[in-house]
Amino acid sequence: MALETTSPPSPVGDRDKRWLLARLDGKYTPYLVIAPFFLVFGAFGLYPLLYTAWVSLHDWQLVDGDQGFTGLDNYATLLGDANFWNALFNTLSLFVLSTVPQLLAALGLAAVLDRGLRGRTFWRAGVLLPNVISVAAVALVFAQLYGRDFGIVNHLLGLVGIDPVDWRAETWASHLAISSIVMWRWTGYNALIYLAAMQSVPRDMYEASMIDGASRWRTFWAITVPSIRPTILFTVITSTIGGLQLFVEPQLFDPGGTATGTGGSDRQFQTLVMYLYEKGFRLFDAGYAATIAWVLFLVVLVVAGINFSVARRIASKG
Amino acid sequence: MSRTLVGRAALAVVAAVAVTSAAACGGEAGGSDGKVKLSIGVFSDFGYDTLLKEYQAAHPNVEVEQRKVKMEQHHTQLATQLAGGRGAADIVAIEEGNVAQFRQSKDKFVNLADYGAKDLSGQWAAWKWNQGTADDGNFVLGLGTDMGSLALCYRRDLFEAAGLPVDREEVGKLWPTWQDYVATAQTFTDQTPNVKFVDTALNVYKAILDQTEEGYFAKADDSYIGEKNTKVSDAFTLAASLGEKKQTGALPPFSQEWNVALKQASFATTTCPAWALALIKAGAGDEAAGKWDVADAPGGGGNWGGSFLAVPKQGSHPKEAYELAKWLTAPEQQKRIFKETGNLPSEPVAYKDPEVTATVNAYFNSAPVGQIFGNSAESLQPTYRGTKDSKVTPVFSNALSRVEQGKQNTSDAFAQALKEARDVAK
Repeated sequence: MALETTSPPSPVGDRDKRWLLARLDGKYTPYLVIAPFFLVFGAFGLYPLLYTAWVSLHDWQLVDGDQGFTGLDNYATLLGDANFWNALFNTLSLFVLSTVPQLLAALGLAAVLDRGLRGRTFWRAGVLLPNVISVAAVALVFAQLYGRDFGIVNHLLGLVGIDPVDWRAETWASHLAISSIVMWRWTGYNALIYLAAMQSVPRDMYEASMIDGASRWRTFWAITVPSIRPTILFTVITSTIGGLQLFVEPQLFDPGGTATGTGGSDRQFQTLVMYLYEKGFRLFDAGYAATIAWVLFLVVLVVAGINFSVARRIASKG
Repeated sequence: MSRTLVGRAALAVVAAVAVTSAAACGGEAGGSDGKVKLSIGVFSDFGYDTLLKEYQAAHPNVEVEQRKVKMEQHHTQLATQLAGGRGAADIVAIEEGNVAQFRQSKDKFVNLADYGAKDLSGQWAAWKWNQGTADDGNFVLGLGTDMGSLALCYRRDLFEAAGLPVDREEVGKLWPTWQDYVATAQTFTDQTPNVKFVDTALNVYKAILDQTEEGYFAKADDSYIGEKNTKVSDAFTLAASLGEKKQTGALPPFSQEWNVALKQASFATTTCPAWALALIKAGAGDEAAGKWDVADAPGGGGNWGGSFLAVPKQGSHPKEAYELAKWLTAPEQQKRIFKETGNLPSEPVAYKDPEVTATVNAYFNSAPVGQIFGNSAESLQPTYRGTKDSKVTPVFSNALSRVEQGKQNTSDAFAQALKEARDVAK
């Protein structure tokens, strides 16, 4: 990159020196440029990760600190902890309920936006709006929509003769309600990512398929989806990471909030991160919370791996 | 160009390091102008806005910054700040339900006795003073602010519709005990089955428990006694019976839904510590002015809520912080706060003061709140809060919710709560 600035001729020795510098420059500058990222990652990513692992091997109280090394005791307790398995189930259930329909809807939405709509920019900006609004505000509004006594959703269900649902009391009802909040927030965001990828699909491929007489539906699955495969893999991974770390939406859906909220009166919708929060910041058991954090990290790795291979296979079949 | 590029990268690294280290050094108090900078961390409304202005005017060398956070975040934040060793305000408010938990980490706080706080002990009701101390009174953790003596609020129009008396003296006579309160609930439901008698079983349970000397933990040695204390099971059974009969609104206390229900007049009574009046007024709105009234609570007085001002050790001006906390909690200031916000003083000199006892609340049909809460404060049975009280309490709240939601019967819910509480309390 630096070689294009040629300087006036100079004595031989000087030229050698310049040549050496340029070589060193080409070799090391890229590393120097990306170094700040790794420094920051090391300080705010890697170090906390390792420190968390260290904390998880101790009886560690949030305020009073280290109370002694306990080895893998926390992990053993965790594996026998019914609340942990409940939280894991809720997390996976909420993840499937929100992510699968969300990504499918985003694909459809992107396909529609990719066609020549009138007022394109308006629609494209519009789908991102739910993502821009503060999550606290969204959760507050949805909490009212899903109110048991005076909520609009129950009112609408009443019009078609369905009894009011206590959205926070029943496991499936609460999971559906929370998934709808997550979908509302993230579908448009993923749709825009898909749209960006779709726009780089060569148009002549569509023309060729049209000449061959393929339907829109067939074109979509045979050309569009395989063409944006890397993007689909990317969104699957990011949604997996985000979905398994679900916290704010369900926590705010619980009227107890962060003070006493345990994700419903019987932990109907307590996710892993909510359980981590309860243990670490309400019950002050930092050692146990760190253990949950590490197990969650492993769960994310495993699920992301599975999703990656599944999504790769589906997208390539087309 | 090449050299400048390397230079720039190096500069960026240096800058990044500089920024982080600068941030790490930030937060140190003490300005170049020689002023003592204090911060005070409170939640909801302590009524300190004008008082702090006056204090700064009277002490030109002191500058005070007030930080307000929502109550639920406040204590969690404080815990992490104490753990991290920095970031806490010079003076922090601690709510009564949490004070026992922080008492356990008292080495993170300044012993206010070192600055002469013990001389002030006579100002407060004895139980209030004791709640803020440790080591048999030798360690003074916090100075009491307000307290929440108990009363019962009821809606006059709904009582009238159910054929019940509406005069607050007579309403108080309906329920000398909580059993009488449950009986009144039945009368009310028989007459007006579509209106809930009370907002939530959770608060009934809490109110009853707050009137007992010991709840989940033994006063003597802080051991967990939730399983054998019949006061706990009795209070639970009584509150749950209202839930089983669907006489409660099954509303999460002070939540958004609770506010809506207040506005819709869908319940007739609610437990109200002094500080709850403001919440009811805000939720029910102007159109309900004069419809709510305040009566004596069943079972005599009890305390629910109220806070303390403590000084974390990590602050750099403990003496000045103590002086400010002392001034803010003095009777004269507590009286003024009562008149402005309705937070009840925790000092007999203040709540017995004619200015306080003569106070009426126009919104609550001109109820003589100064007198009602003052009397309740005089007769109250202080309850002992164990170190793990704030951890055990939600377990039983959840159990009551399950009964209200019809997911479990009373005995199953209680059995599950005992089992969960055992894990938390160990």
